[in-house]
This record gives sequence, structure tokens and C-alpha cells, in this order.
Amino acid sequence: MTAGLLKRHETILAGLTVLALIVLALLSDKFFTAENLLNQGRLMSEVGLVALAMTFIIVTGGIDLSVGSILGLTAILLGVFWQNAGMPLPLAMAAALACGTLAGLGNGLIVTRFRVPPLIATLATLALYRGLAEGISQARSVRGYPEWFFYFGQGELLGVPFQLWILGLATSVSAVILGMTPFGRATYAVGANETAARFSGIRANATKLWIYSAAGFLSALAAVVFVSRVTTTRSDMGTGLELDVITGVVLGGTSIFGGRGTIVGTALGLILIQALKNGLALSGVKGDGTIVVIGIVLIGAILAGAVFDKNRGG
Amino acid sequence: MTDAAIRRPIGRANWRRFLAGFGQEIVVLLAIAVLFVVVGAYNQRFLSDTNINSIFAGNAYIAIAAIGMSLVIISGHIDVSVGSLIGVIATIAGTLAVSGYPIWMAWSVPVVFAVAVNAGVGALIAYARIPSIVVTLGMLSILKGGLISATGGAWITDMPEGFMLAQMRPFGIPSAVYFMVALTGLAALFMRYTDFGRAVYAVGGNLEAARAAGLSPQRTVVGVFALHGLFAGIAGILFATQLQVIQSTVPPNLELTVITAAVIGGVSILGGTGTVIGSTLAAILFATIGSALIFLNVSAYWLRAVLGLLILATVLADMARRRRSR
Amino acid sequence: MKTLTLGIVLGLGLMSGTAFAASAWTGGDDLPTSPLACDGTPAAATAKPYDGGEPTGAPDRMGKKITVVDIPKLIGIGYFNATSKGIADAAAELGNVDAKTDGPTKANIDEQITFIDNYITSGVDGILFAANDPVAIAPVLKKALSKGINVVGYDANSTPDARQWFVNQAEFNGIGKSLIDNMAKEIGEEGAFAIVTSTFTTPNQARWIAEMAAYAASCHPKMKWLETVEAQEDNNLSFNQATTLINKYGDELKGIFGMTSVATPASAEAVTQAGKCGTIAVVGLATPNAMKPYVEKDCVKSVVLWNPVDLGYAAMHVLRAVADGSLKAGATSVKAGKLGELQVINGSEILLGAPYTFTKDSIGDFDF
Repeated sequence: MTAGLLKRHETILAGLTVLALIVLALLSDKFFTAENLLNQGRLMSEVGLVALAMTFIIVTGGIDLSVGSILGLTAILLGVFWQNAGMPLPLAMAAALACGTLAGLGNGLIVTRFRVPPLIATLATLALYRGLAEGISQARSVRGYPEWFFYFGQGELLGVPFQLWILGLATSVSAVILGMTPFGRATYAVGANETAARFSGIRANATKLWIYSAAGFLSALAAVVFVSRVTTTRSDMGTGLELDVITGVVLGGTSIFGGRGTIVGTALGLILIQALKNGLALSGVKGDGTIVVIGIVLIGAILAGAVFDKNRGG
Repeated sequence: MTDAAIRRPIGRANWRRFLAGFGQEIVVLLAIAVLFVVVGAYNQRFLSDTNINSIFAGNAYIAIAAIGMSLVIISGHIDVSVGSLIGVIATIAGTLAVSGYPIWMAWSVPVVFAVAVNAGVGALIAYARIPSIVVTLGMLSILKGGLISATGGAWITDMPEGFMLAQMRPFGIPSAVYFMVALTGLAALFMRYTDFGRAVYAVGGNLEAARAAGLSPQRTVVGVFALHGLFAGIAGILFATQLQVIQSTVPPNLELTVITAAVIGGVSILGGTGTVIGSTLAAILFATIGSALIFLNVSAYWLRAVLGLLILATVLADMARRRRSR
Repeated sequence: MKTLTLGIVLGLGLMSGTAFAASAWTGGDDLPTSPLACDGTPAAATAKPYDGGEPTGAPDRMGKKITVVDIPKLIGIGYFNATSKGIADAAAELGNVDAKTDGPTKANIDEQITFIDNYITSGVDGILFAANDPVAIAPVLKKALSKGINVVGYDANSTPDARQWFVNQAEFNGIGKSLIDNMAKEIGEEGAFAIVTSTFTTPNQARWIAEMAAYAASCHPKMKWLETVEAQEDNNLSFNQATTLINKYGDELKGIFGMTSVATPASAEAVTQAGKCGTIAVVGLATPNAMKPYVEKDCVKSVVLWNPVDLGYAAMHVLRAVADGSLKAGATSVKAGKLGELQVINGSEILLGAPYTFTKDSIGDFDF
């Protein structure tokens, strides 16, 4: 029964996505080319990586608004570790990833140990982590990375952008974890009914800690890709990322109340949004028009899903 | 089932629980007082009436918007589009004023617009069962993009003198302050003593129980959002008339500030508790902190980090307090 | 609970400690400065070889209709509305250019790059830009060059090899000199001033402030810098920050610099509402329309800076010349429509000219 319902939303979404792709391809002949599509894949990698973790988080009924700030913070730390602390670049990258994971863990601890609702906890850490990024960087950018570093964000492997490989790998792994492992089932259980989940022996707190840490890790990974793509670090990187990520995840059918959602849905949601942003721009619509369309699509898609689903709680 | 179950008991044995209900507000009030004392000692000009005026008046619109946001959060929902809405309200008001419409129209039409838009949002949430974060996330984009499309990014200047509501000073006090105090008081009374107010708490606290008690959650939600639109509209007018120029972009981060103010003020994101007095006090606290950090010569690089830490500290303290009073 | 409180207090203490100990933020960057001579003798111009980038495989666009997109730092502020108007005016005058302006709604490099990328894919002939970050924008601009698109920058530069030419409104040190000289004229040689800027990561503003500091140190050493506050590109925030400055320093504050077209009118408004018109001078960058009310009331004596409409106009003409092939590497000047011949400086920069000052007499003539 549940599987049928889930399939409903993802099917509608898949249909919408295909429809959108067709319309956009008709509007502009530059849209549906291999080069453009691969390029869009490159551009959506950062949002995509973070959205994978965000799916898990929202499935547990939580949310994380600080992912953009973690991206900015780890980007700055990458530069600081490499230039100011003199670490070799691979080590600096690893250290930055570790810091991002720690930041995510911090979020998780505040949510589980101190029982602060995730919305508020991550609202506070959004300001705190961004503030740390600004304070540590002292407004300086770090540039002049070695050539090999730019491979992550600008290079290609077998004709496909490198970060798209990373994104693809991460997506597959996430889909497997969420859909087929006990950890994934625990995630759904916690989101559907946390008290019941605890009673059946699921370690809800541990699950959440893992998930929030993963969000931190993936934000840091996105930061590395982003810095590699733009060859510099700035403390304002990633501002607004959380809204893009949440829009993609929610569009993908993940319920904000927890307990439902799939990686496939998130992937479709992100593809739809990226396709709209790109396709509309190519057919001459300016930035403001694109934003309006995305807003309408978001509401419309969820509305369509709700209309077909009469058992939706709320 | 009557409202006996919903009305707060104020017997002697329940004084502690009553106080705990106001605990967060007292914490915020104390924080404001401490700040004034400490920073005032550091630099006397912090306590000058021009500075106090600017702290209260300059951010009154945030407090007013936070009132509406508190109501929404108490009812168990959220609205991330309030910043965009205020930007749109300000532009509509300014455009009407510059195009020669009577001042009262320039003031009231945008407010009606805000109420209508938000009532629509509320209806989508209540009747179409779409989660509030989704609808308001979509609304945020629609309003923001729509604003730029409609104005082309052009600023509005040359507005008539009589339009500048926020710059009027009856008896020397900026009108924004009057609005803030009056609206807070009215809202607090409304939430406490009217059926609708209690219904909002009920719907936010326990939806099924509220429905069983004969309340209509749908109408309550639509009403709450419409009310929220009213406050956002008034906030927008004050925001528009503070300066001689209206930017046609939405003020950055406004929704986060408003939500944070409501939350710090004691409104629980889980719904069902909190007061509007708390959110107004929290908005004032924010404004005070913003001013204090400059007076205290805190390095600009660390401003946001300090702010984030303060928010975190307040929230942790609140959680600890709640656990203790249980 | 006790440990929690202790932890929070310690954390706050540590943070505040660092916050106080950190050196005062002036808003300037720490790149080398080159202040001009106090009396205005121009610095000896050293000829530099052309250091701009070159498009690969650009088609012959001489005389043909071209599509051009202008992507400023952000849209929705007076300054870039003005440059956009200049670009549109030039396009209309040239007759064979299809120009439009599009860009992010906040000054964010992430979004600006995506905008440029989309337009590259859509196959425009020319890109005009004002960069949010000189280095971050370079990869996508180089990609544009590699696709044969002509790239010209204005207002905010990128690294030289990422674009063909950059139209510079005025040299950084020239702007620094004009601003400080004007302020010194109004508040005297011993006056104290504060600065309202956008953010500390905006490169142009940081350069100007650094040059202002260097020039003031050598030519007006007794002028006192009080503080710099950041106000992003937000009107209300700029107003609140300026008001807080006025409240904090009281009579000590004699002048405020507004470093963006948003900060200056907001600061003027703060001064007006505080009743300090005439007591506190406001000097800075702004568009005339926003400043008219204050200049007319004599609250602000002069609005210094260049004409952004001319800046956009010149940029469009330069792009046309580059597309036509009439402006080549190594040129020493270029004809920009009604602005006449503009000089090439620093290898691949084109100087708009001397800063323009809007005063009470002239401000009425402009509408942007």
C-alpha cells in the first residue's frame, strides 16, 4: 500500500520532468545537447550532494538550515589549512572534510542531546558557522591552488564532469542505504513515529547523529568541489544553498512531516529544477521569471501529489 | 468539552507553571536590561534617547512581523516568505503613493493585499493539505521573482511627505513604536481571551484534540495566516516609509530574523505555546544586540559568530528551563 | 546544567576576547597602495603591454548584428540600473546590437557564474560583466572566451586574462583622492569620519578604502578615521548602521563616507532624521535621483563620483569595437561614441575619465 503511494508521487514527478524536458527542448535547440546536459550536471553537483543528506534528515522529520554555512566554513578552512597552516593540499582537504563532519555532528548533538528542535538548532548554527567563516577568513580569499586541484571541479573523466561521477556514486550509495539497509529502515521509522521506533529498539539518537554528520560531510565535499570550480575561497560561499536543497528534496516527494521520501524522488526533483533554471534561461526568460516558475512548479507539484493522495496526514 | 480544558489554570498551586509559561519572556527582558547596563557603562551614548529611539523605532517593523509569525508558529506552521511579502508590500505602497493615489489608499491597499495573499496561502495549507514550508517556500520565489519582473529593479523615490508613516513622531515618539506596543498588546489580549486565540493554541498543540473539541482547524489556519498577513502588511508599510527610497528587492534574511525573533521569544516550534509579548521583546533584544556590538567595538569579522552563539545560548537555556519546569 | 552554562560562558568569553583583540577593521584590503600626490599632479603613466585574454575562434562580427548580455553584480540597485541604461542607450545608438541585462538578485558569485554559464550556452556574441569576485569569475569567463565570445568588463574587474578589456570608471587611487579631498573640504583637516561600506568581501570597495587610507595618511594626516561598518546592499541596514554610528560618536563624528550607491542615500537619510544636516557631512558614491532630496535641502553638498550611465555606455561601445575588430590588443585609445576618445591604461584597461561631481546646480539635469 505504501509502496503504491510512494510510486504515485515519484511517477507524477517523473512525468512532469519528462514533460518539462520536452517543452524546454522545443523552446531552445541548445538545451538538449550532451554538452549542455553534462554541464548542468556539473553545476548541480554541489546542491545534489547536500540534497542526498538532506533527504535523510527530512525523512526523520528534521531539517538542516545550516548546510550553506557549513559549505562556506569548510571552504574557508580549506584555504586556511593550506595557506596559513602550511598543510599539504590533500591533507588540508581531508582536514576540511573532517571539520565539516564535526560541524554536522555539532548540529546532531544539539538536536539529540539538548533536544532543541532541528529548525531552531540549525537556524542558530546557520548564523554561528557563517560567522566563524567570516571571522576566520578575515575577509581574505585564498587563491593560487596547484593545477591538479582544479580537476575536481573543472575536469572530466571519460567525457563526464568529474564531480558528476562523485555525485552519481554518492547518489547510488545513498539510495542503497536508505532503501535497502536496516539503517535506512530505522531512518523511516524514526520519522514516522519516533517514540514507537525507540520502543522497538531503534537507536534514534545514533541514527540522527549519523545523518547530521553526513550532512556536514557532504556539505564539506560540496565545498571542495566548489572551491575547485571557482579557484578561490570566499566567506559568503553557499549562502542560500539550504533553500535550493530543501526545495529539491521536498519537490521530490519527501514529506516534511517525516517518514516518507526517496533518493530517487530527490534526484528527480533536483533534475527538474536544474532543467527549468537552465532551459528557461536558454529560451530567453530572465532570472526573475525563472524564480517565479520554480515557485509555481513547487506548489503545483505538491498540490498534484496531495490531490492524488487522499490519505495524506496533516 | 468546553474551553475549561484549554484555559490556563491560575490556582495557587499552579503559580510555578504560570511563571514558567512566561519564563522565556523574563529571560529575554533580563538580557535586554543587562545589555543596557553593561553597554551603557562602556559608552554612555548608548543610553541617549536618540539611540534608544533608533533601537526601538528602526526595528519596530521586525517586531510587528514577528507577532504574525508567532501566531503562525503557535498554530504549528511556518512561513518563510514573509521577507518577500514585505518587499512586495513596500513596493506596492510606494508605487501607489508616487502615482498620486490618496495616502490612505497607499497605506491600506497593500495591507489588504497581504491579508488576501496570506489567506490564500493558509487555504492551500488547510484545505489542500500542503505543508506550510512547501507553500511558503514556493511563495517566496513567486513574490521575489514577481517583484523584480514588475519593477525591473527600479527604485521608488519622490514619495509625498504625508505618506511617510514611519517618520511621523506624535509627541516626539516615532509612530513605529506606537504601532509596535499597541499591536503587541492587542495581539496578546486577543490570543488570551478570545475563542479564536485559544483555538490557535489548541490547533497547534494537539490537532486531533482540537478537532474533537469541535474546532475547525481549517478555518483557524486560514484565519491565522490572514492575521499574519495583516501584521506583515503593517510591517511592510512601516518598512517602506522609513527612508526616502524604496528598494525593489526583498530585504535579505528578513524571514530568518523574524522567525528567530519569534522563536527566541519563547514560541515553541512544536506549536501550542508561546506569547507574542515574547517575540516583541526578542525583536527588541536583537536590535539592542546589533547596536551594542557596534558600541562595544566588536570586530566586524566576528559579529555574526557572536550573534549565532547568542542565539544558541538563548535556545539552550530555554530548553534547559523547560526541562526543569516539567 | 552547570557544565552547560560554564561551557556557554567560556565560549562567549573566548569569542568576545578574539573579537575585541582582533585589529580594528577598516574595510580596506591589504594589497599595495599607490596614493597620488597631494596637489593632484598625475602619476607618471607607465605603459604596460596588453594583458587581456583573447577569444578563440571568434567569428567575424564586423558590422553584423550581435546579441549582448550584461551581467552586473546584482540587479535591483540604482547604480546598476544606471549602467544598464547606459548600455541600452549605446545599443540603441549603434543600431546593430541586441542588449539585455540579467543577473542575480543578490551580490553572490555562485549565482552570477550560473547566469554567465547559461548565456554562454545560449550562444550570445558578447558578455559585459561587473564581477562579484575577480578570481572566482575567471574560469567561466575563460570558458566564454574559448567559445569565441567577446568579453568586456566594467566597474568591477576580473583577472586580466579572463576578459579582453575592462572599462575602469577611475583609478582606485584617483577615487580615493577625490573622496578624501571632498571630505577634507567639508569637515576640515582635523575632522573625524566613519565609513559605511557594503561587505568586507567586496573587492572594489576594499581597494578604494585602502587607497583612501593611504592618501589620507600622506596628505591629510590629521584627519581621524573612526570606524567602518558593513551594510551589504540593503537600504534599511545601511540606515540603521549609519544611525548607530551617529549615536555612538555623538559630536565627535563629522563626516560619513558612503561607499555604495545604497549606503550614501541611507547615510544622508540617517543624518537628516538625526537632525544633523549641515553638522555631519556625507560624501560618497550615489546615483543622482536617490540624492536629490538631500542635495536640494543642502544636507549633502556634493555627490562625488563618476557617471554610471556613461560607464555602461562606454562599455557597450568598447564591446562593439572589439567585436568589429577595430579595437585590438596594443591600442592606446578607443572611440566611445559621444564620450570621444578614451585612454588605455594598465595594458588592457580603458579609463572612463575624471570623477564627476553632482552638485545642487547640476543634479537636476540627470534622471537615473
